[in-house]
Amino acid sequence: MPVVDVHPDELRRLTGHEDKSDESFKEDLFALGLEFEGETEDGAFQLEFGPDRLDRLSVEGVARSLRYQYGDDRGVYVPKTNDPDFTFTVDESVPEERPYVTGAIIRGVDLDEDALDSLIQLQEKLHATMGRKRAKGAIGIHDLTMIQGDALREDSEGNSITYRGVDPDGDTFVPLDGDREMTPAAVLAEHQTGKQYAGLVSEYERYPAIYDELGLFSFPPVINGRRTEVSTESRELLVELTGTDQWTIDRMCNIVCYALAARGATIEEVEVEYESGTLVRPDFEVDTKRVSHERIETMLGVEFETREVADLFERSGLGAALADDDEGGAGVGTDAADGDDAEETVYEVSIPPYRVDVLHPLDLVDDVGRAYGFNELDPRYPNVGTVGGRHERSRLEDAVRNSLVGLGFEDMLNFHMTSEAEVQERMGVEAGSEVLGGGDPAEITGPYSEDYTILRTWALPSLMMVLENNTHRAYPQDLAEIGLVAERDDSVNTRVKERRHVAGVLARHDATFEDAKARLQTLCRDFAVDLETPPTEHPSFIDGRAASVVVDGEDVGVVGEVHPRVLVEHDLELPVAAFEFDLDALR
Amino acid sequence: MKLPESQVAVLNAASATDEQTVGDLADETGLKPETVTQAAFELREEGYVAVEERTDVDYELTEEGREYVEDGLPEVRLYRAAVEAGAADSAAPMGQVIGASGLGGPAVDIALANFGRKGYGDIDSGELSADGDADAGEDPESTVLAALADGQSVDDADEATLEQLVSRNLVDRREETVRSVTLTDEGVTLLMEGVETAETVDRLTPEMLASGEWEDVEFTEYNVEADAPETRGGKTHILRQTADRVKDVLVGMGFQEMQGPHADADFWINDCLFMPQDHPARTHWDRFALDVPPIEDLPEDLVERVEDAHRKGVGRDGDGYHSPWSEDFARAIALRGHTTSLSMRYLSGHEVGELEPPQRYFSVEKVYRNDTLDPTHLLEFYQIEGWVMADDLSVRDLMGTFEEFYAQFGITDIQFKPHYNPYTEPSFELFGRHPETGELIEIGNSGMFRDEVLEPLGVDCDVMAWGLALERLLMLMYGFDDIRDVHGTMSDIELLRETEVLR
Repeated sequence: MPVVDVHPDELRRLTGHEDKSDESFKEDLFALGLEFEGETEDGAFQLEFGPDRLDRLSVEGVARSLRYQYGDDRGVYVPKTNDPDFTFTVDESVPEERPYVTGAIIRGVDLDEDALDSLIQLQEKLHATMGRKRAKGAIGIHDLTMIQGDALREDSEGNSITYRGVDPDGDTFVPLDGDREMTPAAVLAEHQTGKQYAGLVSEYERYPAIYDELGLFSFPPVINGRRTEVSTESRELLVELTGTDQWTIDRMCNIVCYALAARGATIEEVEVEYESGTLVRPDFEVDTKRVSHERIETMLGVEFETREVADLFERSGLGAALADDDEGGAGVGTDAADGDDAEETVYEVSIPPYRVDVLHPLDLVDDVGRAYGFNELDPRYPNVGTVGGRHERSRLEDAVRNSLVGLGFEDMLNFHMTSEAEVQERMGVEAGSEVLGGGDPAEITGPYSEDYTILRTWALPSLMMVLENNTHRAYPQDLAEIGLVAERDDSVNTRVKERRHVAGVLARHDATFEDAKARLQTLCRDFAVDLETPPTEHPSFIDGRAASVVVDGEDVGVVGEVHPRVLVEHDLELPVAAFEFDLDALR
Repeated sequence: MKLPESQVAVLNAASATDEQTVGDLADETGLKPETVTQAAFELREEGYVAVEERTDVDYELTEEGREYVEDGLPEVRLYRAAVEAGAADSAAPMGQVIGASGLGGPAVDIALANFGRKGYGDIDSGELSADGDADAGEDPESTVLAALADGQSVDDADEATLEQLVSRNLVDRREETVRSVTLTDEGVTLLMEGVETAETVDRLTPEMLASGEWEDVEFTEYNVEADAPETRGGKTHILRQTADRVKDVLVGMGFQEMQGPHADADFWINDCLFMPQDHPARTHWDRFALDVPPIEDLPEDLVERVEDAHRKGVGRDGDGYHSPWSEDFARAIALRGHTTSLSMRYLSGHEVGELEPPQRYFSVEKVYRNDTLDPTHLLEFYQIEGWVMADDLSVRDLMGTFEEFYAQFGITDIQFKPHYNPYTEPSFELFGRHPETGELIEIGNSGMFRDEVLEPLGVDCDVMAWGLALERLLMLMYGFDDIRDVHGTMSDIELLRETEVLR
């Protein structure tokens, strides 16, 4: 979940609530779903929140939400934009994997240290979330005064920059934190940031690049050029975003523009010229969705006046009008919809362009609930009658576990993930052999630890590991487990055959085959099934002291004295008798 | 009169005139001293004997003390070396004297400290002068040490000297309680009247019961306060006990239990849940994909509806995600990261048939997440999952249900923090007061399933759901510090054996 650093002094300044205490901010923030996690060294709050309201990834956005919560602002706000001067031309050489670009021009911004830090944080947080670590969308911010558009060229109709592809070993530029001209390929190979993000573009035939009249100045999504680096001196900015989805980068752009507008900047549109047509960006169009009064009441379990609902919408930074049949909205508050004969009251809700989380009218109901205060709701136990019960298998597991515990076994709970070494090699079992545990394991793709590479094919190895880790504890150690085992089986729908096994070990100085069989017998008697133990061979057990567990005529497992080779492998200095069989045999 | 054998023996051995110690009586009767002591106290209860107690003090040389008996006390050795070096006449350099004394290590400090204390001379500016009149030969501490070494009594020795030796750790002082027994007048009378030994038996035997002999015997008394040997029974694993408790509560609240595959298609684990395919939790870093072919069968119409929901959203004003969606990814098999895959299977009608509202379902089953192993995180843990399906459920019903559930575990004062999940709206993180510490802690995640989840599944009423890690509940209830001690092959058997059972 995203964590954003927000300084309470900045909050006081940006909300205009100069005398709010830190504590009171914390409470208000919790109500917004922003949880106080701690403080940075310089006293900024570290706030954690769900990754839906990405417009709150900076202090400007958090302050905006607070102003709505306090009722200082109401309804939808859209910053004024100036007409475009710049054009982003998308060249046909642009990499097909990353074809989209958007952006804006920012004028008259006052970037003090705090504002610049906040902008950088916002950029990073957006990269981490919506931008999917820059793969889906990446933001570049430049000092506009360092960019040379081509307005002076004879054939030009205005200022223009170009988004295009560049040969990895083609043009050079000086990257941020670099001290010499480098090709894009050299940046990926040698530059710190370049190495970090190389994976995003290294497979591309041509790399994404942005050019102005002077040449290459940005290598998205990897790094900007040093020439256009932003500082606290910068007053005019060029924001560009590239990515794999136009909507995503447009919304990221909107969030950045709203944050800068909150600092007093003027937003100037740009034209984005694709071969297929021209877009004007940033896209500040206000979306609308319709939600019924009834749905709001049912979902929240509260009866509302329409006036109240409209007020709650406006306090959420949304706009609400009563929808008139399928026509446009009528004014709220002057309506007749409170009357009895109103058919169905539906609100047409307008949604500001920084919101990225509103996919469905339900999301608007949630906003009403938050504005109303969910903790104001009175919990009630639903008046719904149903009959409870346990799953058949879980009842069986419990019954068998009770019997095992009655027989003196310590009930264990082991991991299902383990390694081939544990279930096969260390048990003397050959992979792919017919014996219990010898099945083809379901392997984890690209495992992160050599200890967890497969699902266990049988349960006895887990109990042997517990014995191995408890040789300093008092004996006897009689352990049992009922748990999942699995093997790969392509004839099963999920390709993994999952079974529950019952396994037990008796580790004691005088443990014998008979001890294990005695307990098996009791267990089988408890469950009224017939047990036979014809001799068998299993590499984990001593020859001549191993038997198949045959229940009601079906071979379901193995019982025997564990082979000394296996005992020594597990650092055990006393004999172990053991059994393992399929739980279903006791159904 | 009949008395137990040991009491009779003690009575017979005791005298009315001479005090006899327990040791004496033990020698005479052949009983163990503790048996004599016990018998004597029992006889005293009846008034037949008097028991006097006194404390004997005994001194014994420590190892260091024994060394000094051999070599002489360090300060005496220093003094002798000083006199030899002529320090009785004029001060001699300290280093030289110490060298001549043959002392080394901590013995030097000991010598210097006691040299001054005993008035053997002075130490000043690194020079040492000896008092020629001091009589190191008659050092009282040496005398006591020598006496102890010879096994002589030191009862007459100066108390202060003994204290000094004890504080120098050269002598151990031991105190022992000595009990002496004398017959009282009642005891003498009793003996004159005659006592018989009652027959005592150690164990009640089947033969005694059969013969009726038990009526004439006296049973030896056991020390019923003594520790008995350790005995161990089996015990249900504490996490299972907790799971059973949770299941009890939920069944009592009308929930039916779900079970289903641990390895499942991403479709059931994530796509049905309206988790976009490029969601960070779906990257390979967070999930355990299995190296097996894709799932064989998925309900085709459902796949289509789920894909539609992802791409276009549901309902008139619904929007989809601006994320890629591929059926290949949906069909890939992984270990489930949550048991909501079971909820999806059940709600789809493909597990136990079409479900008509109202329904309540739950599971307490294992899930797999690629997290860093630490005291509170495991790669595999149990998730409690539950949902209620009914017409017109509200957030208030959800709150009421969870308040009731957590109250069963002593967790009250539930707070609902608005939250975001891709699959529920509204969503809440649940916070509750720790029953012991009073701290506000996160105890679950909940919400109303979105239309984008329910519509493709063919559910046209409301479903509220919640989830919580069982281990978290266990740790809250028991205060375990490290979950690895109880779950997995690193489990400490002793800890499990000693863990209090759940009531």
